[in-house]
Formats: sequence, structure tokens, C-alpha cells
Amino acid sequence: MVGQEVSLKQTTKLQKIWVGSKPYILALLIAFGITGAIIGLLGYNVLKAYQTLLFTSFTSQRGIIETLKKFIPLTLTTYAFAIPFKIRFFNIGGWGQMLFGGTITAIVGIALAGFNLPAIIFIPILILVAMAAGGVFALIAGFLKAYYNINPIISTIMLNFIAIYFVNFIATTEPWKAPRTGHPMSLKLPEAARLPELFGQIHFGIVIVALVIIAVYYLINKTVLGYEIIATGINPDAASVYGIKMRRTLMLTFLIGGALGGLAGGIEVMGVHQRLIEGFALTSGAQYGIFGILTALICQGNPLGVPLSSIFISILLVGADAMQRTLQVPVELVFLSQAIIVLFIVVLRRRAGGSFIQ
Amino acid sequence: MGHYTEMLKQVISYTSIYGLASLGIVIGGRTGIFNISGEGIMLASASAGFIAAYQTGNWFIGFLVGALMGGLFGLLLIYIHESLKISQFILGITLVILGTGLSDLLYKTIIGFQLFAPEAPKVPQIRIPIISEIPIISGILNQDVIVYFTYIVVFLAYYIFYHTRIGLETRAIGEDPLAADVVGINVKLRRYIATISGGALMGLAGAYLPLVVTGTYTTNISNGRGFMAIGIAIFASWRPERALLGAFIFAAIEVFSFQQQLGSSLFPYQFLLMLPFISVLVIMWLFRKRIEFPASLGKTYSRE
Repeated sequence: MVGQEVSLKQTTKLQKIWVGSKPYILALLIAFGITGAIIGLLGYNVLKAYQTLLFTSFTSQRGIIETLKKFIPLTLTTYAFAIPFKIRFFNIGGWGQMLFGGTITAIVGIALAGFNLPAIIFIPILILVAMAAGGVFALIAGFLKAYYNINPIISTIMLNFIAIYFVNFIATTEPWKAPRTGHPMSLKLPEAARLPELFGQIHFGIVIVALVIIAVYYLINKTVLGYEIIATGINPDAASVYGIKMRRTLMLTFLIGGALGGLAGGIEVMGVHQRLIEGFALTSGAQYGIFGILTALICQGNPLGVPLSSIFISILLVGADAMQRTLQVPVELVFLSQAIIVLFIVVLRRRAGGSFIQ
Repeated sequence: MGHYTEMLKQVISYTSIYGLASLGIVIGGRTGIFNISGEGIMLASASAGFIAAYQTGNWFIGFLVGALMGGLFGLLLIYIHESLKISQFILGITLVILGTGLSDLLYKTIIGFQLFAPEAPKVPQIRIPIISEIPIISGILNQDVIVYFTYIVVFLAYYIFYHTRIGLETRAIGEDPLAADVVGINVKLRRYIATISGGALMGLAGAYLPLVVTGTYTTNISNGRGFMAIGIAIFASWRPERALLGAFIFAAIEVFSFQQQLGSSLFPYQFLLMLPFISVLVIMWLFRKRIEFPASLGKTYSRE
């Protein structure tokens, strides 16, 4: 009998992976079931809808490109949430940090237009500007928490709205506003400030994101700061006993998260729009800003899981757009199904005895 | 003079939105449940409430459906939180997104695209005899039923929390759920009641937007007011009467910035639109030393 008990406890690696991924698979199945039921109830063809939702990304080269184009900013806004989340603080402001980063990038890009800088200098300058702008914008919230104990959930949300109106101010006001455009938008960035296209298909942002993924991995796993972040996240009191300065760690995580959020905005402005458009805040800004939070929650804020869950959500976003275009299924359905996915992942992992941050 | 009376009337009307939403947060918070999903609730309720009122032609049903929708969100939050002990904040954020998606989805599928914005049935204003005859006061006082309802629930909440045994017990849960549990207070039941009724109040605030303020439903109709209500609840140190004061201040800021936008002003209008959001930060900073929280707010309580 004793021998039997021992053999029961021995689990293979495969079983471990199964136990770990079971909640995710179940959550997806349930969420897709519910979404499918809604699609069916609304009178659309469920099978076709799912085909479009899941496979648009893979069926054509364009699909793959579109997916990567969403993956780039989404990964960054996901980090914006995930990194402060590592020490149990909520940065809801990825949206605002992205907008602020993008806006400042546009302002600086337009201001430097007269200097005829070569791309090799211009682009790095703007990338640093975007990161600094996003980082400082997030740091406001980190600072208010560290020194005045103002809840970052509130402050980051308020900063989001401030950023939204800031975008619209810049896009509609001289000297940044472009003359004679139907929709209000800023002047175009000079040629040297635009991200080059790789293979004529996807802009250089994909390389930047790849570097960021490696850098975050290195930061969390191989540096002292990463160790401090992990330790603080597990037990803030114990961490402070061992000399980790809570305020410093808190502000640094907001700074890093915000910088990556700002970078998302900068890349969007430099690589996709090449200018600041008035509705930026509500179109791509809202999409990546809000979905970044969900994407981070799906991988439970694990910085290493970010690229995976980000590519998954990108596939869904591309599929949802296609679903709306071809089948007229409202795109809001994807908001709904993603919230349901997150709810069930959280619930099922908890059921399975997983340790989700309480 | 008439202009200022009209403005004040509008401020009092807007106070209901912030008042109901922040009171909903305060009531849940007093049992330790921090419901940050107000924005999602308001959006979902605005949409559901408008659709119900538009389809039936009855504004009362609109408010009822809005409150029910809010209650449903509250139930979802408290059920998952209590049964599985999952972070209220994670649930709250998820519910915000759920509500945001649901609001447009409901409207698009049920009402669909209309050439002219569909109009909600008019909510009648209550005229109090005699007082309604006084010139200036009448302009301020002739408000709809929800405005009067707001003052009644704020008073009721204040009275219950601070002058009854039930209220004392409920506040005790917010301070220390374990101690409350030990002396035999049904913590779980109280939390369910507080969160669901709190959600219903936020839902009412949401339904107020299309039914009274704009007269029709538009995408993202609550535009951050659900989030600002959190700021008000914090500013109010989780006291109902102070939440009403906070609501009045924010209503005044909103009406002021809106009025300035219309007239030619010194500031670009975008900065005026930022004003309410900046005010939340400034007020929370100014009052940071006087703000108190229920001690167990936002924390997960389990008997083990």
C-alpha cells in the first residue's frame, strides 16, 4: 500500500503541464461556448464566426502581418500592467501612458523636423522620448502612492482621461495641427522619423518588441532589481525587513511599466500613423490600453507569459475585426468574450488550487 | 440670474449621478467590498435601461432595468469573490470591461443603427405645491424623481449606518470581518446585500445618463464618471453624507467646465474637459491626511 501511494505522487512532466494548462483550456472552451451561444442567439452563423475569429490570422500573409501589427503595441501595454502587478500594484494607466508617449513623440518629431537628422539618430531619440514620456506619466501615479498613499488604481485612471484630452488638444491645435485635413490630425512626421518597413511588410517595431521581451526577461530573472521586485511581490513586509526599499521598488516598477506603455504609443505614431490622429485615444489607444490589462491578467501578470498571451489576444482581435467586416457580428462581442475568458481563467485556476494573487 | 438658476439646477441634477454611484461604492465598502467596476456597471445599465425605456415607452421600467443590471453585476462580483476568494480588484477590472463590451453590444443588437437618435421617454419633474411658486427656488427644485430619491437614500444610508444596530454591525464587518463573524454577525449575507444594493445604485446612476441627462444612448456615455465616483467615495472617507457633498462638488466642476466650453474661454476646451479628472487627484492629495478607510477594505476575508 505504501508503495502505491508513492507511485501516485510521482507525476511526469507531461502531467504537470496538463495540470497547469487545464484551467486555461477549460476557460477557453467555456468562454467560447458562451460567446458562441450569444452569436447563435443573435442569429449569426456560429461556425463561420468562429472560423473567422480564430483562423483569419493564419489564412493569409496579410492576416499574419495584421496580427503582428497588433502584437507589437499590445505586448508593450501588457507589460505596462504586468510589471507593477508583479509587486501587486495595479497600473490601469497603460492607456494613458501609451497616449502620452505617442503625443510627446509626435510633438518632438514635429519640432525636430527642421534639423534634417538622419534616421539612425532621429528614431532612437524619438524612442527614448516616448519611453521617457510614458515613464514619467506613470511615475506620477507611483509617486502619489509612494509618498501620499493615493491609490494607483484611481490616479492612473484619472491620468488616462487627462491623456485622452491632451491627444485631442495637440491634434486639433496649431502649430501641430495639419492644415486642410478632413479629420483633425497633426502634421506628418518627417521621413527620417518614421519606422522603416522590414521586407516592405512589417515596421521595425517588431524588432524593438523582440528586444523588449528579452530585456524584461533579463531584468526579472538576472538583475538585483528583478530579484527585489519578485521578493516584494511575494511578501512586501519581509522584503522591507531585508532592506528592499518599498518606495523605490514601487516607483521603479511604475517607471518601467510606463516607459513600455509610452513606447507602444511612440511606435504606433512612428510606425503606423506617422502622425497623431485626433481619435487615436479611442481607437488604437483604447484597444491596446484596455486589452493590455486583460492580456496581462490572462497570464496572471507573469512577465514571461506576456508574449504568449499577447499573441493569442492579437489573433482574436484580428479575427474580431474580420468577423465584423464579413459577417457583421458586432466587434464588442470580443470585449465580452475576453472578459469571460479572464473570469474563468481566474476562477478555474483558483479551483485547481492555483495561487492567484488574492 | 436665470442663467445661474439654470446652472444650479443642472448641478443638482448631476449630483444624482455622482451621488448614487459613489453611495453604491460606499455601501459596499462599509462591508469591506471595494467595487471598482462602477464604470462598467454604469455603461451596461445605461444601455439596458435606455433600451428598456425606449421599447416600453416607460421611463420607470428603464430605471428598474438599470438597477437590476447593476444588481446583477454586484451579485457576480460578490459571488465569485466570496466563493473563490479572488481579488476584488481583478474582478472589478474584468467587470468594467465586461460592462463596456455589453453596453454597445446590447444597443447594437437590439436598437441597431438609426437615422435619428432614438429618444428616451421624458422623465417628469416633480412640482412641490406652494414652493414651486417661489421664483428662483422653483427653478432649482423642480427636479425629477431620481434627484429626490438620491437624497432619500443618502439620508437612509446615513441613518442606518450611524443610528441603528444593523448599521453598526455592518460597519464592524468593514473594520474587522473576523471579529464580526465571531460575535455572530452573518458576514457573508451582509456582504451580499451591500454589494448587490450598491451595484443597483450604480446601475441607477448609469440609467440616469440616457434617460435624463442626454435623452439618448451614445457609446461610452458615462465617460469616466464611474471612475470618478471611486474618487468621491475615497474623498468621503466612506461616509454617505460626505459622498453627497463630494458628488455636488464634482457635479459643479463638470457643469462649470461644460458651460465654459460653450462660451468663448481663455482655455482650450480640452483642458476644461480634463478639469474633473485633475480635480480628483488634487482633492485626494489635499485631503490625504483626513481620509479614512474601513480597515478591511479590499482585503479578502476567509474563515480559515
